[in-house]
Amino acid sequence: MVHPVEDRPQAEVALKELAPGSAVLALSGALDVHTAAATRREISTQLAGKSFQVVEVDASRIQHGDASGMVILYELVHGRFTPGVQATLRGLRPELEKLLGAFPKPEDVQAAEHLAARKPIAVEVGMATLGLGRDFLEVVAFLGRLSIALAGVVRRPRWLRVTELARVFEKAGANALFIVSLISLLTGLIIAFEAAQPLKQFGAQIYIANMIGLVMVRELGPIMTAIVFAGRSGSAFAAELGTMKVNEELDALKTMGLDPTRFLVVQRVLAGTVAMPLLTAYSMAMGILGGVIVTKLMGFPLSLIWRQLTAALGLKDILFGIIKAVVFGTVVSGLGCYHGMHTRQGPSAVGDSATRAVVSGILLIIVIDAIFSVFAFALDI
Amino acid sequence: MSSPTEKQPPIIAVEDLTIGYGERVVQKDLNFQVRRGEVFVILGGSGSGKSSLLKCMIGLVAPVSGKILFDGVDIVTAEGAERLKLLNKFGVMYQSGALFGSMSLVENARLPLDEFTRLDLHERELVALTKLNQVGLLEAARRMPSELSGGMQKRAGIARAMALDPAILFLDEPSAGLDPITSAGLDRLIRSLSRDFGITFVVVTHELQSIFAIADRCIMVDAERKTLIAEGKPAELRDHSEDPVVRQFFRREADPEQERKTG
Repeated sequence: MVHPVEDRPQAEVALKELAPGSAVLALSGALDVHTAAATRREISTQLAGKSFQVVEVDASRIQHGDASGMVILYELVHGRFTPGVQATLRGLRPELEKLLGAFPKPEDVQAAEHLAARKPIAVEVGMATLGLGRDFLEVVAFLGRLSIALAGVVRRPRWLRVTELARVFEKAGANALFIVSLISLLTGLIIAFEAAQPLKQFGAQIYIANMIGLVMVRELGPIMTAIVFAGRSGSAFAAELGTMKVNEELDALKTMGLDPTRFLVVQRVLAGTVAMPLLTAYSMAMGILGGVIVTKLMGFPLSLIWRQLTAALGLKDILFGIIKAVVFGTVVSGLGCYHGMHTRQGPSAVGDSATRAVVSGILLIIVIDAIFSVFAFALDI
Repeated sequence: MSSPTEKQPPIIAVEDLTIGYGERVVQKDLNFQVRRGEVFVILGGSGSGKSSLLKCMIGLVAPVSGKILFDGVDIVTAEGAERLKLLNKFGVMYQSGALFGSMSLVENARLPLDEFTRLDLHERELVALTKLNQVGLLEAARRMPSELSGGMQKRAGIARAMALDPAILFLDEPSAGLDPITSAGLDRLIRSLSRDFGITFVVVTHELQSIFAIADRCIMVDAERKTLIAEGKPAELRDHSEDPVVRQFFRREADPEQERKTG
C-alpha cells in the first residue's frame, strides 16, 4: 500500500459548472486506498474559491473502490468539501453503495465521541485520592495476611514447601553472587583509588583501609546489595506473581482453599530475608578486598592493612550492616510480592507491577537506611 | 464482489505443503485451493496442526517445503515490497483478538490506515469507525480492549483486520470461548461480510455449528495421518464421507480408544 505502482488505475476528477451556483463533479476510475488522498486533494483544488448552492456527484464511472475511497464520497455528501452544501450522489455501483452504506451516520459518530467524554478534573483528583487511601489499606491488609501466614508456617512447618523455598533462594540468592561480587569489588577499588589522592596530601593513605572497611560494612555493602536485590528479585517476584494473577492461577489457589500468601509469598519473603544478609556479608568482603588490593598496590604490607581494618571495624559495625540487610531483604521481597499480587488487568500490567516493585523497593531502602543512620547516631552505635 | 464460482482462478493455492517444527512433521503433502469470495473452513481436532497451517498461510512460520500462492505470488519466497503488497491483501483475526492494549478500539482499527495511507486523520478515523460500525462496535469505539468482553474483542479484531479492505480475512478460532449467542452473532457477521462485500474468508475452527452456519467448503486435517483427509461442503462430508475420523467428527462421537480407557 505504501509503494506506488505505475500501472495502478488512477482516479479522475472533473468539475463542470452548469448554471451559476450549480455544478456536477464527475469522478471516474478507481477510488480506493491508493488514490483516495490524491483524489481528495484534486477535489479541494478544483472547488477552491468557488461557491455553489447545488452540487451533484456523478459516480457512475467509478470502476472500483473500497472504504478508504468511499470516505471521500461520504465527505462530499456530508458537505465537508462544500460547507453548507450537501452534495447529491448518483450512479454509484450497487456494491460500492453497500460500502458507503456501512458508514455510520454523523450523529452516531458524535454520540460515540460523547460517550468517551473525559471526567472533570475534580472527579479525577478525588478518585486518585481515594485510590491512595485504598492502597494504604491494601498494604496493611497484606502485612496482616503475611503475618498470619508466617505464624501458620511456624505452627505447621509442613506448610513451608521447602522445595519452593529452596528454588526461590537459589534464584534470588545464589544466582546473584556473581553480580554482587563484581559490583562490590569494583566499588571497593574505585573508592580506594578516588580516596588515595586526597589522603596522600596528608600522608594518610593507610587510612584507606579504615575507610573502605567502615563504608563497605556499614553503608555500601547493605545498600548496594539491596538495590541489586530489588532490581533482580523484587521485580522477578512481582512479575512472577503478576503473571500468575493474570492467568487466574491465584484464583485457582483460592478456590482450592489454599491461601496464595501462604503458598507463594511466605517462601519469597523468607528467602529474601535469609539471602540478603548472606549476600551482604559477601558484598562487604568483596568491597574490602577491592580496597585491600589498592592499598597493597601502593606498597603497604598486608599485616599493616589488617591491623588498620581490625582497629576500625568492630562487631557492632558488622551487626549493624547485617541487621540492615535483613530488614532490606524482608521489605524488598515483601514489596515485590505485594505489587505482584495486586497486578491489574491488561498487557502492560505485569510490567507496571515490576516497575512499581523496583521503584518503591529502592525508595524504601534509602528511607529505611536514613532512619537507621539517625538511630545509630543518636544511640552512638 | 463476485459470487464464488469454480471457474475463476483460486485466490489462494496451497501446493505440496509440508509444515513442521524442527524434526517433527505436523502436516505433509497438503494441496488445496481457496476460491474467490467463499468462506473456506479448515477443520481438525485439537493438536491436528490447523493453527500451524494458518500461521504458515499468513507467512508467520516458514513451511518445511511447498508453496502458498496468493493470486500466483508465493508468500514463502516473497520479499520486500512484493511481500508487503501481499500482506496487505489479507487481514488476520487472532484467537484472542490480539488488540493492542494501550490503544482504544478506534485507534486499533485506525493503525493500519495511519501507517499505510495518506488520508487525513479525520478520514482515517471515519474509516476506522465505519469498520467498527460494521462489526457493531461503534458505541465502544473509545473504549480500551481490557474493558471489553471476549466476543467484543474478537469483533474488534475483525474490524482492525478489515481496515485496509483486504480481499481475504483469516480468522483463527472465532468462536472459541464464546457463548452460543455471541458465537452465532459472529457467524452471521462473517456471512454478511462475505455476501455484502465479497470478502474471502479462511476460518480455522472446530465448532460444528459454526461450520454449518458459515462454510461454503471445508477441508479437514488429521493429527494421526498428518495430512488432508477430507475436502468438500460440510453437509456432504457429514452425510457421505466414508472416512471414520470425518464421520466421528461430524457426528460428535468420542474416540473409541479413549472411550475404552475412560469407560
